[in-house]
Amino acid sequence: MFSIFKQEARGLATSPASSSTQDLGTNCGEGLDSESSEKTDKEPVDFYGLGDPAAEFSQMSPYLSSRGSIIKCFRDAAEEGYKAYHLDEYDEDKNPNGIINFGTSENKLCFDLLSSRLNQRDMHHIEPPMLQYPDWKGHMWLRDEVAKFLSYYCKAPVPLKPENVVVVNGCASLFSALATVLCDPGEAFLIPSPYYGAITQHVYLYGNVRLVYAHLDSRVTGMDCRPFQLTVKKLEIALLGAKSEGINVKGLILINPQNPLGDIYSQERLQEYLEFAKRHELHVIMDEVYMLSVFDESAVFQSVLGMDRLPDPQRTHVIWGTSKDFGISGFRFGTLYTENQDVANAVASLGCLHGICGTVQYQVAQLLRDRDWINQVYLSENHARLRAAYAYITEELETLNIPFLRTKAGFFVWIDLRKYLCSDTFEEEFSLWRRFLHHKVLLSCGKAFECKEPGWFRLVFSDKIHRLRLGMQRIQEVLEKEPQGAKTLSPCQSLEKSSQSR
Amino acid sequence: MEERFLHLEERRVQLEQRRLELEREHEFRMFGVFAQMLSILKEGSGAAPGPAAPMPWQGLGLAPDYPRGARMPQGPEQMSGVFSELSDPGTKHLQGSAYLSNRGNDIKFKRGVTEEYIEAYFADKYDEDENPNGIINFGISENKLCFDLLSKRLTQSDMHHIEPPLLQYSGWRGHMFLREEMARFLTYYCKAPTPLKPENVTLFNGCISVFSGLATVLCDPGEALMIPTPFYGEISKSIYLYGNVQLVFAHLDSKITETNTRPFQLTVEKLEMALQGARSEGVRVKGLILINPQNPLGDIYSQGELLEYLEFAKRHELHIILDELYMLSVFDESATFHSVLSMDRLPDPQRTHVMWGTSKDFGVSGIRFGALYTENRDVSSAVAKLYFFHGISGITQYQMAQLLRDRDWINQVYLPTNHSRLKAAHTYITDELKTLGIPFLNRNSGLYIWIDLRRYLHMDTFEEELLLCRRFLDNKVLLSCGKGFQCFEPGWFRLVFTDKIHRLRLGMQRIRQALGQQAQELHQKLSVPRQLPEQEGRADGTEEAVFVPRQQGPMGVTKTRDLFGLHHQQTRSSAWMQKGSLEQLTPEQPGALDVLNKLADKQ
Repeated sequence: MFSIFKQEARGLATSPASSSTQDLGTNCGEGLDSESSEKTDKEPVDFYGLGDPAAEFSQMSPYLSSRGSIIKCFRDAAEEGYKAYHLDEYDEDKNPNGIINFGTSENKLCFDLLSSRLNQRDMHHIEPPMLQYPDWKGHMWLRDEVAKFLSYYCKAPVPLKPENVVVVNGCASLFSALATVLCDPGEAFLIPSPYYGAITQHVYLYGNVRLVYAHLDSRVTGMDCRPFQLTVKKLEIALLGAKSEGINVKGLILINPQNPLGDIYSQERLQEYLEFAKRHELHVIMDEVYMLSVFDESAVFQSVLGMDRLPDPQRTHVIWGTSKDFGISGFRFGTLYTENQDVANAVASLGCLHGICGTVQYQVAQLLRDRDWINQVYLSENHARLRAAYAYITEELETLNIPFLRTKAGFFVWIDLRKYLCSDTFEEEFSLWRRFLHHKVLLSCGKAFECKEPGWFRLVFSDKIHRLRLGMQRIQEVLEKEPQGAKTLSPCQSLEKSSQSR
Repeated sequence: MEERFLHLEERRVQLEQRRLELEREHEFRMFGVFAQMLSILKEGSGAAPGPAAPMPWQGLGLAPDYPRGARMPQGPEQMSGVFSELSDPGTKHLQGSAYLSNRGNDIKFKRGVTEEYIEAYFADKYDEDENPNGIINFGISENKLCFDLLSKRLTQSDMHHIEPPLLQYSGWRGHMFLREEMARFLTYYCKAPTPLKPENVTLFNGCISVFSGLATVLCDPGEALMIPTPFYGEISKSIYLYGNVQLVFAHLDSKITETNTRPFQLTVEKLEMALQGARSEGVRVKGLILINPQNPLGDIYSQGELLEYLEFAKRHELHIILDELYMLSVFDESATFHSVLSMDRLPDPQRTHVMWGTSKDFGVSGIRFGALYTENRDVSSAVAKLYFFHGISGITQYQMAQLLRDRDWINQVYLPTNHSRLKAAHTYITDELKTLGIPFLNRNSGLYIWIDLRRYLHMDTFEEELLLCRRFLDNKVLLSCGKGFQCFEPGWFRLVFTDKIHRLRLGMQRIRQALGQQAQELHQKLSVPRQLPEQEGRADGTEEAVFVPRQQGPMGVTKTRDLFGLHHQQTRSSAWMQKGSLEQLTPEQPGALDVLNKLADKQ
């Protein structure tokens, strides 16, 4: 096991820098050519990038096909960190020197609530149909329940229909299936970066679909009222850029609440993005997997399913699952809602490869239907715990003088460690990431989210307080050793103020 | 960028050339068929008896739909047409959706031959009380005899355990505790000479997913795996949907010859022929799929046979995928199942991949649990990357571990009861079949019986077979027809017998009724009625079913009819022929169409 880890860490060492091997600062790779913040940001090429997941592919196995070899070698930073963590997990008693996980976006605050709910008697029910081959769209009683659930929590103006629901074993499967039925091999989706990096492999591994990035950056200009602001103009530029390279873009992926930024799109913004997609006949895949994890009461989340009129309902597809909002990623439950029956049926054709255990379907249905427990027990408690953890972490960050984006949703803060990099490169970012890991705290680096500015990290705070404390200590220890100020003036100084005032 | 375009353009031209080549080859073969038809007509009564005299291309599956584009720059050069056919061109009209990609449309319309019938069943399921006139399901291979045992076991208190890791991400191959349990389970039930290793186990949500994953990492788009027919038809779909991998068929037939000592016997010679055939067409075959115990035949391969197949695969550097999904469903003590995992020495362990799941042997297809066992680290780690899409709920993993580790319950309660129930149901159905004079393969494993209804077909065509299938459905009983298993001979059906006795009784009544109608219609249609069972073929239920090849009837017509059926099959099922169809062929060969039409009239 140990040797595997070493080998994979080596693989990782080369991966983020695959296209520019760091030598002499000749940044030549696609999507990486805007590493230095001194750049003018005027050329459109700065604003978008094209993912090339096969770029790292190096060794061919005699036993595998070409794509099999690519799939085998495919890795991303998030996965590697998780593997390292898995071999040396922190445990209060058994492994107090193990790794603290601030990297994986899981809500570990509510296992007590979920365990006790899932252990209630009503969950232990079995009847023959649950043990037999299901309808590959999911059992009808579950799809009914999902439609009711989404109608309620997304505040749909009219009840959503069970026929438009397809359930599968997790949102990864939905991305894979949607990519496959909406795009032909080599075609692409547009996505604003930074974004939840696993989507890259979700659409690529089976689907062979690529991502075109609309790069957002931290600079606050007149047009942008907040760092990493998504605007239609940026989408337009990225789309145009991709088209000029001959890339066929079939859709736009939006994550709302956003991961890793934590942004919640306002209704007006949402409308603009949807109008943009309609103008270009792009499908919109709305990932709303954090919709119930808005922990600050002052924030209002607007689901696309709650809009009175969708600009292009036939091209709007919504994804939700229980992994994040109920903190049970191990459950493997995801659902698609789309009015487009062609899309629903095509995805369902792939459903035989993404089936969920019948008894698990039953449990999910029981869970979703228990409105009392969700509203009166679970959500209020979950939000209170998320708020407390968030408050603790942000205070710590302020004490450490680390800038970050304030957020009202999700399990993570997007923090700015650019001032700790000797140079604005992803190699530097990666080496800082590795120092954290060696010091037994796992974070996710910006490169894993295809962020175009090196030095940003995502810190997941949805864990018990003693772990948060220990993790923050370790972060502090690493940063204290850093040659801070190696860079004379960092742009984060201004951001620090602007973001902290938010 | 430009280079990429040039490359694409180059590929397009190559593909176009390849397509033209195939078209030419195909035309050539078509005329071969015509010529044979003509010569038979001239000769009058021919000599060779038996159905569907083997044609040079018989080893191959035909019928490409449009091959999808290759995905990698390093992709294969060949995209030749050895597609397994999933759609039913007779009833489905491809009408592309503007919202879907080409492959999205392809996937949406990819349907099994009888999928429509299965939907009909789901819409009108038989229920003793609520829907006594509903459809009896003899079509879907599920063991419904042991729900009582399983329900009871799965609701015992040890199953209701939850701890945080079960609710979190479970790594890339499933939880270690279940992989360990799986390794122990397989070691025990497959009689492995040395303990199997948990590291070699990858877990999936069902064996269909294992096929999808393996096909994707072993083959590039357009490449192929080889499989003897008839076989469980879902495999075509599972390797094609995401993987865009095709199947090359090694067709087995029912005739008994010197080398073919039992109907549908798999021999290395047939594998060799199919492989050579595929290679000569430029198809790259990367592996061989074997199902053991076989579905739908129920055959269990002897150790000697198994070794021969493995040696064959090794000789050609083929991966071998062994589907042992029914290994514990061997219900007669006289039969012994040999897992490849029990062999002392595998000819090519790095290319041998075994799969098993709980769907069949524990009758819980709704649980979605399967596993891959392979010693090859490259294969297992590549496949593990796809685990994302085939993950199993943590609590299900826990329950499966509890189930598999309960050796006492399995050995003392479950297996004996299951086997005796399987045996009783099998006996009941086979007795009924004998009474009806329906030949069948008498086997001791699986949940189904492969039955021979060829004499109930008006002509030896798959259209006729489908019509008979339709007639069963009209009589409210669902069966799977041979076409769904890519059987080469029309007229075979798979009957699933693992249900409660009252359903079996009702189902058999309905079958009898349907066959009565069919026989009556046959008599009306045929001036010379086809001979009935006494002469045409017979099943001997007491020993292995033996089929007497058909000797009766006007030979010339029989053979021509077979050829006609073959021709028909080929025309119908190939995409390039749909484009360059008969009408386009005939201007160059005036008279060909006339000949064909005359032949058709004669049927």
